[in-house]
Amino acid sequence: MLRVNSLVYLQMRLKSQRWAFKGKKTNTQRALESFDDFYGSVFGIRWKNIRAALLTEHKYIAVVNNFGDADKTCNGMELNGALNIKSLIKVVEDRLGRNNKLSINGSNNTLDENLFKVLCRQEEREKQSLYPMSSMAETSVQLQYSAGNTTEFKSNSENGENQKFIESLEMAIENNTQLANSRLIDPQYGTGGLYEFMPANKIKGMEDWIPESDHYKYYSTHTDFPLKFELETEFYYPDNLKLYTYEIGNCSEFITPQKCLTGALSHYLLDGASVLPPLFLDIKEGDRVLDACAAPGGKSLIMLQTLFPDTLVCNDIQESRLNRIRKVMQEYIFDYKEKWENKRILFNQCDAKYMDNYESFDKILVDVPCTTDRHSVTVNDNNIFKSTRIKERLRIPELQADILANCLRLLKPGGSLIYSTCSLSPVQNDGVVHMALQKAFNENGITATVKDLSYIIMFFEDIFKFENNKVLKYGQMVLPYLPANYGPMYFCKLMRNM
Amino acid sequence: MFRRYLINFKQNVQIIHRNQQFIQRQLTPLRYVAAAPEEQTQLEQSHIDEAVRLNPLLSRVPEAQWQKAYETFLNHGLNTSNFLRIAVGNPDVLARPKQRIIDAFENWRSCQFGEKLLFLLLTKYPELLNVSDGLRLRKHISYLKTFAGTDKNVWKLLMNSPDLMEQSEHRIEEKVKYLKEVMRIEIPEIIKSEALSKPLEEIRCRHVFLERLGLFVPRPKKANPDEPSKNPRLYQITNTSEKTFATKVCHVTLIEYEAFKELYERELQRAEDDADEDEAREGKRGYKK
Repeated sequence: MLRVNSLVYLQMRLKSQRWAFKGKKTNTQRALESFDDFYGSVFGIRWKNIRAALLTEHKYIAVVNNFGDADKTCNGMELNGALNIKSLIKVVEDRLGRNNKLSINGSNNTLDENLFKVLCRQEEREKQSLYPMSSMAETSVQLQYSAGNTTEFKSNSENGENQKFIESLEMAIENNTQLANSRLIDPQYGTGGLYEFMPANKIKGMEDWIPESDHYKYYSTHTDFPLKFELETEFYYPDNLKLYTYEIGNCSEFITPQKCLTGALSHYLLDGASVLPPLFLDIKEGDRVLDACAAPGGKSLIMLQTLFPDTLVCNDIQESRLNRIRKVMQEYIFDYKEKWENKRILFNQCDAKYMDNYESFDKILVDVPCTTDRHSVTVNDNNIFKSTRIKERLRIPELQADILANCLRLLKPGGSLIYSTCSLSPVQNDGVVHMALQKAFNENGITATVKDLSYIIMFFEDIFKFENNKVLKYGQMVLPYLPANYGPMYFCKLMRNM
Repeated sequence: MFRRYLINFKQNVQIIHRNQQFIQRQLTPLRYVAAAPEEQTQLEQSHIDEAVRLNPLLSRVPEAQWQKAYETFLNHGLNTSNFLRIAVGNPDVLARPKQRIIDAFENWRSCQFGEKLLFLLLTKYPELLNVSDGLRLRKHISYLKTFAGTDKNVWKLLMNSPDLMEQSEHRIEEKVKYLKEVMRIEIPEIIKSEALSKPLEEIRCRHVFLERLGLFVPRPKKANPDEPSKNPRLYQITNTSEKTFATKVCHVTLIEYEAFKELYERELQRAEDDADEDEAREGKRGYKK
């Protein structure tokens, strides 16, 4: 038994050439490799443009602080050539002439197929690394399977997959035993023949091993819950919100925030794409709003700057992250301690998937933890692609779906939420929305309407580069693009049905 | 501040240099027209007229000087057509005393490129005849030889990037080091390209852009040298205009590359500033996620 194992091990060792030569990989390299592989097949030739943009500095939008010297700041920005997004939207509104083009998101797209291929490939690779001998037999089966028509894997992709996996495992084991039998050993050396070989069914020390392909299985195409799309045609830009940015191709920078007469800072700088989720949440005066994963507080601040929310609850999982939000609020809001804290801004430290004040919010912003693509490929510290966090990373979609499903329960009937991530992965985006809708329906009987934002993103097409909405199922996405290097940011609006 | 000024200055110099090259390229086909056929060894009035038409500066040169210079060149083995090409490309030569021209020839001969190759080089870049300091020339050529290997390689290098003669050893060293160690490009490929006549900043910018696009992966150290690499060749990276580089080599739009150049320059600037400053100011940075 030992010898066969070591034989397999030797094979693996010879196969992986980098084993001896290369130094240790950094986390960002690991992230980049994984993205190259996965996004390369999702986005095709467009991936290289996105890749270059991700690795290069991103672009900011400035949120002018109404509690500082707002007019002075605005003037300064305009003098530097920045665009006021409010006036930009007015211009676009005139141009569009309010002629609504109705286009419901196409449900038939190539993404499903692509992801299925990714899944197959990943499984194949894992099988090969675990059972190198059986790889030959495997590929032919795999090829046959993927050549099958699309309807087949739409209907029973899940079951078929698992069965395939089990089958191939058995086959691999069988092949291994054959291999053992075929090796004759001179009886004078060994007492027992290798025909007594018992195939391993568990690898010691790897009891809770999750293969990478499990991650892709979170993306299912199978629908058994009521699904309704509705085109969002109304968009109001909040009067009090002042946002500034530069046009496409202009890479100028903003000045660092200055201290104003009121003691608050003049403006807040954040990745441009992060302003969209709070804007599309369409907060009305007197709404009770929840920011489910609020740190570091940029999106919360935007919502407060509209002055619309009656109360804003900022929730996050750790007190240290809440403290960061507190610090931001103190820096930006005048009279924060006296008039705002615990009156209009509430802090709540809780895991968003266990919050239980059901049906109490009008609007919720669900900006879930994700693989934070831009961060993962540029910063090594505390990177989600760290080998010790692999389990956490592969289970991210599960966590995201739990949070989203729970947030649907927290909504008042008729209320709406925005789900957003800063990842390009369809598994974490459309896949999670799908899973959460299914979960909310199966476990709590909640149904929701997907608000199609494809019309109102047209207001922003002059400054952002959006993913073609034919490729996406439920939401919209800002793609990183060098001349307008925002995002990535996926967002999807859901309205809880009455 | 000073550094920025320096970079601007370098860019200007570079633009001037390119303009010159551009003019030269335009002239090249015309020079062949001006040149007399090989067997016709006499300098005729029609040749001079044609040369004056191509380069009006020559109109100031009196007839006697033409003849004198022509004889000097002929004595050193150049034929009429080569002489005319040199005269059109570098009219100042005609006005020089005989001894100075001969010295320049002797200096170049001492580099041992071989007569034929030397004439090719000098007719292609007549400005090279302006050398006066023989010692400096020999020193520089022997420096180029330290990384190029052979005399022939030095000649090839000069055929592609003649301005190497005017660059300081330090700057060449920097570029060769970057090409060899970071991009892992071998000497033969460097010699075939114009890379060394480009500033290091430009080479680095183009290389990093390709790397971020995922189109350029440095060859592994232990890779089989016979195995062709999938990277774009060095001459494609350095001998192309901005537009050709962006659209044909990187397959992106020009505005994407221009945006990248701007962002990358700032990134480098920031990295330098950060290295200069103390980390203590880290907390005061205005940018947040």
